[in-house]
Amino acid sequence: MKYAIETFDLTKKYNDFVAVDALNMKIDNKSVFGFLGPNGAGKTTTIKMLTCLIESTSGTANVAGYDIANYPNEVREKIGMVPQQFSLYGDLTVRENVDLCADFYGLPDDLKESRADELMELVDIKYAQNKLVKQLSGGMKQKASVVASLIHQPDILFLDEPTIGLDPTTKRVLWDLVEELHSEGRTVILCSHDMYEVELLCDEIGIINSGILAAFNTPRGLKDTMLREKKEKKDSNIISILEELREEGSVEPSVEFDNLKEQIERKNRDLKELSVMISNLDENMLNTLKNMPVIHEIVEHDSGRIVLDLESSDDAVTQIISEIIGNGGNITSISTKDPSLEDVFMSVTTRNIEEGVDDG
Amino acid sequence: MVETKKIMWMIKKDLLVLWRHKPRLLSLFLFPIIMITLFGYGMGGSLSNVPVVVVEQSNGPITDATLNAIKGNSIYDVKSIITDPNKGLQMVQNGEVKAAIILPTNLNDLNTTQQKSIVVDVDSSNQIAASAIIPATQGLFNQINTQIAAQKLQPILVQSNQVNSTSNGVNAQSITNTINLQINKLYGNITYLDFLVPAVIAMTILFGCMFGMGEVIAGERERGELARLFMTPTTITTVIGGKIISKLVQETGRAIILIIAAILLFGIIINGSMVLTLFLLILGALCFVGFGIMISARVSSMEDYQQSVMPIAMPMMFISGVFFPIETMPWIFQKLAYIFPLTYLNDALRAVMLKGVGIGAIWLDVVVLIGFTAVFFALGVTRFNRDI
Repeated sequence: MKYAIETFDLTKKYNDFVAVDALNMKIDNKSVFGFLGPNGAGKTTTIKMLTCLIESTSGTANVAGYDIANYPNEVREKIGMVPQQFSLYGDLTVRENVDLCADFYGLPDDLKESRADELMELVDIKYAQNKLVKQLSGGMKQKASVVASLIHQPDILFLDEPTIGLDPTTKRVLWDLVEELHSEGRTVILCSHDMYEVELLCDEIGIINSGILAAFNTPRGLKDTMLREKKEKKDSNIISILEELREEGSVEPSVEFDNLKEQIERKNRDLKELSVMISNLDENMLNTLKNMPVIHEIVEHDSGRIVLDLESSDDAVTQIISEIIGNGGNITSISTKDPSLEDVFMSVTTRNIEEGVDDG
Repeated sequence: MVETKKIMWMIKKDLLVLWRHKPRLLSLFLFPIIMITLFGYGMGGSLSNVPVVVVEQSNGPITDATLNAIKGNSIYDVKSIITDPNKGLQMVQNGEVKAAIILPTNLNDLNTTQQKSIVVDVDSSNQIAASAIIPATQGLFNQINTQIAAQKLQPILVQSNQVNSTSNGVNAQSITNTINLQINKLYGNITYLDFLVPAVIAMTILFGCMFGMGEVIAGERERGELARLFMTPTTITTVIGGKIISKLVQETGRAIILIIAAILLFGIIINGSMVLTLFLLILGALCFVGFGIMISARVSSMEDYQQSVMPIAMPMMFISGVFFPIETMPWIFQKLAYIFPLTYLNDALRAVMLKGVGIGAIWLDVVVLIGFTAVFFALGVTRFNRDI
C-alpha cells in the first residue's frame, strides 16, 4: 500500500457552507504528515470524515486501504485518534479507560494486559494507572489518551493538537513517541499549530485554508516554493516596469535589454541568501566569489559582512565556504536567511484570504 | 461476544461512575424517598383540621345538631363559636381561621317560609383549604336542609338503614334518624396519597430517565467521551443498547426503592400484581429512555438537551394526571394529555396498584406505551449522529 490516505474530491457541506471543498491529497504510508490550517479552515472536519465520525457530502477517501463510506468499521480498526478535546472518562482510572478501549477494539484478554503495560511504560504513566483520570494533570491525561488510542496498534494515528498546553518535558515524551511510531512503520497524521513541532516531526505537510488544500509538500519544498513565488513576484514587477519603460520609449530595444530581462528571469532560481562575515575580506576574494556560478549577486556591507544571493542547490553553501577558506579567508560568522514554516503558513493562508477578497 | 463485552462495559462504566460520585449515588436512593415523603406529607392524605369559626345566631335543636355535625367532621377544627357575624369575618381576614360558617337567625324556625341562608366566608387565597371546605360544607348543609324538610314531612318519611358514613364525615344520625345516606366505595377508602403514589413513581421514572439520558448521551458527547467510543469499530446500536440497559438497571432500582418507601412510610397497599407493577415501571422507563435518546440524538451539549426537554417534561408532568384527575381539567388539557406517554403509564399503574386489575384491563395502555417506545427508539437511532 503506497498511500496511507488518499482523498478523492472529498467534500463536506453544511447547508450552503462548504467546510471542505473537493479535497484531493495523498499521504504516504509510514510517513509523518503535518496537517495545518488556521482555525475554521476545515482541518477538523476533514479529520472527522477520515476517522468516519461524519459522512462526506460528496467524494470519498481511502484510509488504510479501505473506503471510508463502504468500510467504516474496517477503517476504525486500523486507525487511532488522540483528539484535541480530552475524551477519557474522568471517573474511571487510567487502567479502566485503557481496558474499556481495548475491549471496544476487540482485543483478546491475554494481549490486553501486556500491551497496556508496555504502552504505559513507554509514556511513563504506569505509576498512575490506578488513579482516576480526572485527578491527573493535563500532561498525564494526554499520555493516558495516547495509550488508549494506541492499545490496538493502529496503522494510522491521528494526533489533533497533542501537545497544546503541555510542558516541554511532556512534549518531548510525545515527540519521541511519534518518532518511535514512525520508525515502527506507522503513519502519523499530526494536526498542530506548533510550527516547530511540525517541522521537527513531519515528512510532508498539507495546509488547508477555507476548505481548500492550499499547499502540500515537504517542509523544505514549502519554503522553497515560497521563496520562488516571492522572487517571481518581485522579478515580474521589475520586468513589467521595464516593459512599461520601453513602451513609453524611454528604453530602446536592444540586445542588452533582452539580456537584462533574461538575467532577471534566471534569478528565479536564486532561492537563498547567505550572510558571511569575513575578517580579512579583500577585493581579490570578492572577485573570486563574484565569479562563482552559484552566486548571482553580492552585496557588501561596511562591517565586512557580505550578503550573497545564491542558488538553492544542495552544495552551494559548501562550495562557497570551501572557496573562501581556500583563498585564506577567515570566516567569523555565517548564517543562511531561510523562511520559517510559520512564514510559509502565513504566506499561504494570507494569500488565500487576499485571493478570496479579490475574488469577492 | 465482543458486543456483549462492550455493552457490559457501558453498564460497568455507568455503575462505577455512580459509585464514585457519592452525591449522585445518594441522590439515586434519597430522591425517591424525598419525593414520596414530600408528596405524602405535603400533598397526600385527606385534608383535615382546617381552622374554622362558627357563628350561631339562634338557639334550638337544629343549631345544636348542626354544631355537633361540624364538630364531628374531621375536616373542621372549630376554633370558637361566636354570635357576631362581623367578628367571624374579621377572624377570617386576620388569618385566625380559614372560614367562618355563619348560621342564619331563623335556622330553628320550622314554620317559616323564608329561605334559610347559611353564609360561609372562606379564605379563598388558600386554594387547597378552600377546595376542601367548600364541598364539605355544601354536603353538610344539604343534609341539614333535607333534615328540615324531613321534619316538615315527618309523617310520610321512610326510614332506612345507614350503611356507611358520608364521605365528608357528617354523622347524619346525630341530626335525625330519618336521614339515611349510603355511599358505596368500590375500591375502599382511597386517599389522595393513594391516588398520588403511582403517578409520583411514574413521574420520578420520567425525570430520572429523561435527565439521566441527557447526562449519558448529551453530556458524554459534550465532553468528547462518546466520540472516542464511536471512533472504535462499534455500532450506534451497541453503544445506545449499553446505555439503555445501564439506565434501566438504575431506574428499576429507583422504582423499587420508591415502592418500598411508599409502603413503609405511608402504608400503601399494592392491590394488584407486583410483577405487573414492575413490568409497567420498566416499560415506562424504556419509553422515557427512548424519548431521551430521541432528543439527545441531535444535540451537542447538556444545556441544549435540557432546553429541549424542559418544555415537554414540565407540561407532561402537570397535564398527565399526576396531581389531579384528567377529567377535572379544561377540555384542551384533556385532549393534550393523550399525546403524552406519562398519561398512559399513570393510568395503567393506578389501575394495577389501586384497583388490582390484571393485564387484560390495561392492555390498551401497554400497547400505546410500546408504540411510543418504538417510535422514540426508531427516531432516536436513525437520527443519531456519531458526531455533531
